[in-house]
Amino acid sequence: MEIFVLAFFALGYLVLGGADIGVGMTLPYLGRDGGERREVIAAIAPFFLGNEVWLVSTAGVLAGLFPELEGELLSGNVAVVVPLLLSWVARDMGLWLRGRLPGVRWQGFWDGAIVAGSWGLALSWGVLLSDVLLGLHGPVALVPALLVAVVFGTHGLAFAALRLRGELRQRAAVLSGGSGEARTYALTAAALVGIGVLAGLRLPLTAGPTAALLTPVILAVTPLLVASQAWVWWTFRHRVTGPSYL
Amino acid sequence: METVDLARLQFALTAGAHFLFVALTLGLATLVAVVQTWATLTRNPVHLRMTRFWGQLYIINYAMGIATGLVMEFQLGLTWSGLTEFAGNTFGASLAIETLVAFFLESTFLGLWIFGWNKLNRWAHLAAIWVVTLTAYASAFWILVSNGFLQHPVGYELADGVLRLTDFGAMVANPTAQVAFFHVLGGAMVTGGFFMAGVSAYHLRRRTAEQDLFRKSLRIGVGVALPATLFTATLGGLGFETLQPTKAAVWSGDAARIAAAQAEMVAAHGPGDYLPPSGWVHAGGLTMMIAFAVMFFFSGLSAVLMLFRPAVRGLRVWHWLLTLMIPVPFLAMLGGWVFREMGRQPWAVYGLLTTAEAMSPLTETQMRVSLTAFVTVFAVLIVTNYLLLARAARRGPGAVTLGDRPIDAPSTEPALSL
Repeated sequence: MEIFVLAFFALGYLVLGGADIGVGMTLPYLGRDGGERREVIAAIAPFFLGNEVWLVSTAGVLAGLFPELEGELLSGNVAVVVPLLLSWVARDMGLWLRGRLPGVRWQGFWDGAIVAGSWGLALSWGVLLSDVLLGLHGPVALVPALLVAVVFGTHGLAFAALRLRGELRQRAAVLSGGSGEARTYALTAAALVGIGVLAGLRLPLTAGPTAALLTPVILAVTPLLVASQAWVWWTFRHRVTGPSYL
Repeated sequence: METVDLARLQFALTAGAHFLFVALTLGLATLVAVVQTWATLTRNPVHLRMTRFWGQLYIINYAMGIATGLVMEFQLGLTWSGLTEFAGNTFGASLAIETLVAFFLESTFLGLWIFGWNKLNRWAHLAAIWVVTLTAYASAFWILVSNGFLQHPVGYELADGVLRLTDFGAMVANPTAQVAFFHVLGGAMVTGGFFMAGVSAYHLRRRTAEQDLFRKSLRIGVGVALPATLFTATLGGLGFETLQPTKAAVWSGDAARIAAAQAEMVAAHGPGDYLPPSGWVHAGGLTMMIAFAVMFFFSGLSAVLMLFRPAVRGLRVWHWLLTLMIPVPFLAMLGGWVFREMGRQPWAVYGLLTTAEAMSPLTETQMRVSLTAFVTVFAVLIVTNYLLLARAARRGPGAVTLGDRPIDAPSTEPALSL
């Protein structure tokens, strides 16, 4: 059961947070000027806080249920985890700060932080997953990492196609062709879930003794968490028609 | 510096920075929620603008709190895997509950509050800020349960070289955690109160637009700061009852007591230096107490002055001083935190695991690179965010973008200035 709890939050992050990463990666392609980029960001703006928290929760589940694995996984991959965290901070700060001051250069700089941070996140995840999946280290790990990053990017495009309108939507749909936006999104989401599941199968997942206490608490609260997220999805279910707060 | 000192410095800088942002976040969230409640009940436009203005400052501050907080969470496993392996089965439970029961909801509802402005039903929107505020309290509570365990471990057993949780209730009811929670909550209200009063005083002194809004805000700020200062000090006094023997001895400065505490630890754990660094403990404690004296005197005086309308309108010396007071609660928070955490040394889990044993098997180069990277990035971001916070505070309610139009309405601004 503990394994399913971990899988739920980790895979939830890959699918939901993965879309934000992908949109950030493809931001220069989707939005050609400041105004367009702001509209593209509006596609993920209401969701990104609620999406990245799935990863925070994954870390929480690791700390509570798999404390030994948490230490091994993080401290054993310090060369990947530090860039991952820095990329995460850069991406988030780019989102928050781009609109705080007027000026093309200010916004261009933070848009750059969003793009660099998103690529950093995707590649760090790629390196980490290829280490867990294939046991690859060093520069050679960059090949599978790039593949993972491409999946994130495609997933982001698929999500953007579902959220944007007009020309932005057409740009986002470049890879899905005529196959339908929802279907493309389902496909890229399934690809991320697949990678996540395969990596998870390679991890030594033995729950610690606190699981007996913690797992029922988590199972009890999870429907509430999903319901709160569903409220956000429902509130922002329509396509973006203009810039958001960010 | 040894590798473990680098790791300590990295964690201390991350946690210290996080604590500064959290203090204001917790305090301001409460004030914003109360003001929004009033605005929702009365539909008074002044209170609506107040909600948006203070809400905007709250969000600028919050963003940096998230960035430092998530790095801090991952640092536990990254640089302190010895701690998670040894004690993860105990305080990891409260960390897990914090992320799932508190922060998950806080983050989700914060997104709903920010982006759902003018889109959600106004009662639903009000509910969102209250969920954010209450889950922020819950978050602080579970973090302090985790921290309380490290300060004063209870409800555990030691088997096969690792800790196991035997009594979850005892861990939650740990007085070291309970007292600290209310102390920190009070401190956050002091920080929020002085911040609101100080920013309002700036606008009253400069006679900017919205004088009515800032007179109201100043009264709320001062009205919160005085009782919160007293409450926090009382809880802080109770906290002294929960000090570890070595910290209490070092704080007392009594040589005989210090020697006795050290001898007791040597008898229990073998030869070694078991005393926390005296300089840090005293500096932290004194900073906290001097700041308390200043805040108590000043908030008391301000509570009297705010009863006189002419003073609120035009006593510029007082306005100046109120604005200058904004950093003092932050200083007190940091002082108290240094006192608490430095006083725990040399232990990561008091009496059970030393800080050196808690460290991950990382090389000095790895630690140096990591420390340099985080410090550089955070230094730039923290300075940027505080400058932006000050700018938004100075520019006043007229320049607030939060909630100024429905989220999906077409922008009226020209594309270039977006």
